[in-house]
Amino acid sequence: MTTGELAVPARPTNRFRTALIVAAFVAFTVATCIPAIGGIDLDVGAIVRNWRNGAGKMLQLLQPNFAFLPRTWAPMLETLQMALVGAVASAIVSVPITLWAASPTNPNSWTRITVRTLVNIVRSVPDLVFATVLVAMVGVGALPGVLTLFLFNIGIVVKLVSEAIDSSDHGYMEAGHAAGGTQLQINRVTALPQTWPLFANQWLYTLELNVRISAILGIVGAGGIGRILDERRAFYAYGDVSVIILEILVVVILIEIMSNLLRKRLV
Amino acid sequence: MHTDARRVEAGDIPASTSWPVELKSVSVTYPNGTKALQDVSLRIEPGEMVSIVGLSGSGKSTLIRTINGLVQATDGTVTVGPHEITGLSGRRLREARGHIGMIFQGFNLAERTDVFHNVLVGRFAHSSPFRTLLGLPTKADRELALRALDSVGMLEKVWARANALSGGQKQRVAIARALTQQPSIMLADEPVASLDPPTAHGVMRDLRRINGERGLTVLINIHLMDLARQYTTRMIGLRDGAVVYDGPAGAATDADFEQIYGRPIQSDDTLDARA
Ligand SMILES: Nc1ncnc2c1ncn2[C@@H]1O[C@H](COP(=O)(O)OP(=O)(O)O)[C@@H](O)[C@H]1O
Ligand SMILES: [Mg+2]
Repeated sequence: MTTGELAVPARPTNRFRTALIVAAFVAFTVATCIPAIGGIDLDVGAIVRNWRNGAGKMLQLLQPNFAFLPRTWAPMLETLQMALVGAVASAIVSVPITLWAASPTNPNSWTRITVRTLVNIVRSVPDLVFATVLVAMVGVGALPGVLTLFLFNIGIVVKLVSEAIDSSDHGYMEAGHAAGGTQLQINRVTALPQTWPLFANQWLYTLELNVRISAILGIVGAGGIGRILDERRAFYAYGDVSVIILEILVVVILIEIMSNLLRKRLV
Repeated sequence: MHTDARRVEAGDIPASTSWPVELKSVSVTYPNGTKALQDVSLRIEPGEMVSIVGLSGSGKSTLIRTINGLVQATDGTVTVGPHEITGLSGRRLREARGHIGMIFQGFNLAERTDVFHNVLVGRFAHSSPFRTLLGLPTKADRELALRALDSVGMLEKVWARANALSGGQKQRVAIARALTQQPSIMLADEPVASLDPPTAHGVMRDLRRINGERGLTVLINIHLMDLARQYTTRMIGLRDGAVVYDGPAGAATDADFEQIYGRPIQSDDTLDARA
């Protein structure tokens, strides 16, 4: 070890990033504090004034009416069916679309950009908006729910998996090209097994999400447990509402445990 | 080519014929303006065992990639056997590539795929895409893949996943993949740069054996002078994208290497000094 002054080079400063952070902070403060330009007008007083009312509701919610449980089986089953059908249908369709949307598996930039743009448009529409529009188009029931979940899932799987493919190492593709393979052959024999765990992970994730989302979709008429939840709430039957919420909680946790177990076996 | 495969199956012709390679005033300039090759002309006869040596960045990979069209020559012509590679694209380029085997420094295997399917990649250009999509190789393709694995001593690993293999085993599988093409020429881009010395010698011996037994034209990019001398018969030296040496490999002197490298010999220019 030598002693004396170390000639440490000056650490580069990132002015751009600093400026960005300051700008974001200022924008946040302005947006939340000035109601005139669209800030949020939080009335803390209202919470205090309505407290008695809210406390009463809470008490009712804390007394679940378990006698109502049998009437929830059928709608809950419908919710699970919607979640599963949506997840499976989107899983199948997501494979070719994802390979189209990633650059290693689709060197043609025109088709790639087109597919990506379409998927981004689908992703930018909130799921409740899809459900509302689809209910208007195909009528009340499970079908608009399944279609909503399908579109929603495609958006998630294609975006996340195609980005993972983009950023992964793909030397094997070079070998496939060097051997005179077509892109389709290379994708089928090497890229698909290579990316299969990425897909499986996202498919399980969409199944989890679907159970949660389809509980809400019923509120706009797209079938499942959400429809009956909305109905009981409209009748102020908070004991029933509380049973339904508990049931959704249990089912979501069960699905998550199952998909975590599956996920461990996949890797 | 399909008729060829059938005749091979019947066992009445040798697996492949060996091809010459000819480069005429080949230059490569990458889109970012880097001149990687400048006016390279050379001819390699069928069955030759040639090393291409030079420092990192001298253009070895670029040169070998112009031979199978992975890199397009900006100028000049590349001819491999009956194919003028520089004039080909699409289906006809893939067909030509089907006869040009290549192995890589990083092995380039699909890590999560088993050895068998990695090796079948070598049949892509020779089989109908329809069969590939259905995952149904012909009996002849299957046979070729298994024989190639056997010839590099990797048959027992046929159902192992590529990521379960050691570096030396991976490179052997990659050689088997190239042999499954029944190539007429074999390209190797720094095939032993990621391997420890004993394994490196093993892979170099495999390449020499392929050259000897099948009379296959073999081109090896290598930056280690002792391996070039020991395993190849002709050496082409590159510096800054130009050919600065072309002669017998075994007789190349240290002075020849210093001239190719443009600097004195260092200890990491040889494999055995590193061991
Ligand atoms: N795809 C590329 N784009 C731009 N420049 C490249 C590319 N590939 C290689 N080069 C440059 O071309 C020169 C030759 O590279 P290369 O053929 O890889 O040499 P070697 O294999 O001898 O190390 C180097 O200067 C390298 O940086
Ligand atoms: Mg190189």
